[in-house]
Amino acid sequence: MIETGLKRKIFSTLTMGIGILIALLWSMPLIWALIASLRPLNEPFTRGQVWFGSGLSLANYARAFSLAPFGLYFRNTVFLVLMILSVQLVTSSMAGFAFAFYSFKGEKILFTLILTQMMIPTVALLVPNFQTIRVMGLYDTIPAMAIPFWGSAFGTFLLRQSFLGIPRDYGDAAMVDGCKWYQVLWHVYLPMAVPSMIAFSISTVNWHWNSLLWPMIVTQSDNARPLTAGLARFTQLGEIGAQWGLMSAATLIVALPLLILFLVFQKRFMEGYMNSGLK
Amino acid sequence: MKNNKKTTVLPYLLILPTFVFVCIFTIYPTIASFVGSFYQHRLNVPRYREPVFNGLGNYRDIFASADFRMILQNTFVYVLALVPLTILAALFFALWLKNKRFARLRIAIFHPTILPMVSAATIWIFFLTPDYGLFNQFLRLFGYSGAENWISNPNLALMALVLVGFWKEAGFYMIYYLAGVQNLPEDVYEALKLEGAGPLTVFFRFTLPLLRRTTLFVTTVAVIGAFRAIDHVIVMTSGGPSGTSTLLLYQLWKVRFENLNIGQASTITVILVMVLLLFTISNFLLNEKRGEK
Amino acid sequence: MPKTTMTLRMLSILALAAALFTGCQKESSDGPVTIKVAYPVAVDAPVTDILNQYAEDYMAIHPEVTIETVYAGGYNDVKTMIQTTIDGGGDAPALSVLLATDLFDLANAQYLTSMSAHLDAMDGRDDYLGDFLPVFMENSYYMDEIWSLPFQRSAVVLYYNADMIAEAGLEVPTDWESLGETAGALTLREGNSVTRWGLDYSSDWPYWVFQPLAMGAGQNIVGAGDTEIYFDDEAVIRAIEYYNDLSAKYGAMPAGVQASWGSAVPDFVTGNRAMIVHSSGSLSSILAQADFNVGVMGVPGETEGTSFSVPGGGNIYMTAGLSEAEEKAAFDFAVFMTDAARAAEFSIATGYIATRTSCGENEELQAYRTEHPQVEEIQNILGTAGKEFAIQNLGEVRTIFHNYLQAAFNGQMDAAEAMKTAQEESDRALADFR
Repeated sequence: MIETGLKRKIFSTLTMGIGILIALLWSMPLIWALIASLRPLNEPFTRGQVWFGSGLSLANYARAFSLAPFGLYFRNTVFLVLMILSVQLVTSSMAGFAFAFYSFKGEKILFTLILTQMMIPTVALLVPNFQTIRVMGLYDTIPAMAIPFWGSAFGTFLLRQSFLGIPRDYGDAAMVDGCKWYQVLWHVYLPMAVPSMIAFSISTVNWHWNSLLWPMIVTQSDNARPLTAGLARFTQLGEIGAQWGLMSAATLIVALPLLILFLVFQKRFMEGYMNSGLK
Repeated sequence: MKNNKKTTVLPYLLILPTFVFVCIFTIYPTIASFVGSFYQHRLNVPRYREPVFNGLGNYRDIFASADFRMILQNTFVYVLALVPLTILAALFFALWLKNKRFARLRIAIFHPTILPMVSAATIWIFFLTPDYGLFNQFLRLFGYSGAENWISNPNLALMALVLVGFWKEAGFYMIYYLAGVQNLPEDVYEALKLEGAGPLTVFFRFTLPLLRRTTLFVTTVAVIGAFRAIDHVIVMTSGGPSGTSTLLLYQLWKVRFENLNIGQASTITVILVMVLLLFTISNFLLNEKRGEK
Repeated sequence: MPKTTMTLRMLSILALAAALFTGCQKESSDGPVTIKVAYPVAVDAPVTDILNQYAEDYMAIHPEVTIETVYAGGYNDVKTMIQTTIDGGGDAPALSVLLATDLFDLANAQYLTSMSAHLDAMDGRDDYLGDFLPVFMENSYYMDEIWSLPFQRSAVVLYYNADMIAEAGLEVPTDWESLGETAGALTLREGNSVTRWGLDYSSDWPYWVFQPLAMGAGQNIVGAGDTEIYFDDEAVIRAIEYYNDLSAKYGAMPAGVQASWGSAVPDFVTGNRAMIVHSSGSLSSILAQADFNVGVMGVPGETEGTSFSVPGGGNIYMTAGLSEAEEKAAFDFAVFMTDAARAAEFSIATGYIATRTSCGENEELQAYRTEHPQVEEIQNILGTAGKEFAIQNLGEVRTIFHNYLQAAFNGQMDAAEAMKTAQEESDRALADFR
């Protein structure tokens, strides 16, 4: 018995060791970026000088902050992401519910039409959508960046998928008891789809936190521009070549809030809620 | 059986908000692209500055071009290499990290998703530097002695893009598998264990089939995502060398904004949409046939 | 269905707001004018501060004009933004800094307004224009009009580690042969691995750095006309073969296409490369980091004692569709920005080349040049510079040229065959413009 206990312990330490090793390797680019961002300015990255410089310094961060108003950009990004996510959760759960719970004429066609949104790349839509935004009079505002995403094919798809996994009887029973559709959705379906809603929220927040092309097109002033507009000033290889330290600092300024959010979020949600699905 | 008793306007109204936004910002421009693909419309050529009807001319030109065939091929290679790799890794990570013991390591696998693609690609340029680049140093630990100029080698540039896409996306799809894995019925596993089924049997006979819906979803999203990749092409390779890493969407961007050829850009949009539509519909039908609802 | 009605109501409010907003947008042509100016921001230079200062200084003198600065990542971002805005019927920035070579396509597509009328109405027009370095003005003319003013300009140069060359008892290269030999001699090997390359000549975005080589062989890839190309010229083919020889014959460089634009400067300043071909815009960063004597020269040519270069960088363009008042203010501000004293200051602060001859009279720039003779040298190199590759249908032709040039570098095609195909395909792409 003691021996198997010992064996198990060795095995568990070993697997943990390997696990940490894989995790470290996978994180190498981020770890490098963190170290690179802490280099003093103007120290070249080259053979034998790939990691630390002559010392640690926050100069890259200071420089990044002085070259772009990240504070203002941060506020805009938070507004933007909240504006998109809150509307998407409402529209997508309604549409997902309709596609999962009801049968109606043209269902498949409508579903496919909505799905096209996932397939058509933003690049192809830049000019016509710019036109629409301009006609709406929203140019250079935060809503201009948000409105095209208020209907979400991805959210509809994901929530429909998740609602389909919920036995119909639950919904039918509630309906027979005289519940309205929104009561069924709210009390029966949504609670069971929490993991999917979280998964959807993660991807929406992440997608729009990092979106670059569209925001740069429909906004021009710093009062509307998001964080990535600041980042775009540092990632260009341009004529002079990459400034790794500065680029790393800007990346971390942009990504750190999300990373922290996820760390907090993973403790709260991942373990608790993922189990709240169907057993 | 679905609820057929009251097929009222209700479901349509529920869909309406989503549908309105999709119509305004996706379907209308797509129809415009479709129409535009039948016109010769080039902003930098005076006589084609206003669209001139060209029938199927744009399609003919595009499919006759060896470059475009190479771009299509690059795109399919990219998608076919990236998607299975990413999904396998995502599944592997999920099965590994579902264990509470390893929960803290999830962030390590997931975090690349959070990094903006432009940053990730820029960091990877450094990692892929020949000689002292960290990725090459790492490979040499395992005795790799092949070419190290990933970005400028015609056989490796596309793989460099796959590598970055893989690193960036695997953690994202892991989340969906994690959710799926958590919902697997524990008691079945307990029973299987008692019956002495080996881990491989359990995986292929039970886990994989039970995750079918998740896999279908992840595959759909991953394929569409792979077709829509562009940032790392712009940052890392600019489609080179000699066009060997040019993907469809990058080509679309170039044709529209560099070559100013709106008709051809519309044609590429239509082709891209057709490919994806075909894929999604067949995927969708396959799923429906198996009788989900 | 409360949510649905709410969304519907919101939509109708939006539509109403949109109608109202567009209705109110008409502006009068008299009185205060607001113009937007779009810049691509080069990394790690205090460009935004300088440009904001320009705008403030200008507004202090002209209180009726408001200037708003719009910053984008790179030249491509500015270009995409201008195109989308104009195509979508919006108000594009009145002035924008775009690549000097973008002229033909953007003018054809009617994104730009010619500056000729305003220049002609200007006092001292000829003095003003004549003061720009002639080579920088080469990309400004089209259809007998002037479309852009030189602003942030650079050139291709060869940087060399003068100490390393002296220590090895070598001379600064004077032609292809000696460049290859010097670089070969400065390459250090330990067993099978190379610890220092003699030369770094990047080719991941190759036309620009390749041009001096082609000129060095006797024929630039582009001629004076706007559809004139010489890809299959014997000299161009010889230049490709020479590039390949740098690795095959002289062992001075790794083989094939070099994706080394980003790593060349750090490798050079740390002594891992003896010489690099790069933008003159990197000079300040090189001088700030190197602890050795940095030499700078044009790229040596095939014949003894010759060296060559091409200019690069961005010009100020005026966008199409401006009101008369906007156009006037925009042009006036463009002239203000290109003022000789400002151009001199801009050069010191950013490392771009002073665009005007009379900048040389600026005392600060003189002092700066005395301190850093390399700056003076770069100014001289411009005397040997030819026309940067600008052509009708540039996007398409440049892609063709890049594809075949890289195929030749990577040994997938023979140089002559590659250039023959490149010429044929480019001729087809240019047929609509001839």
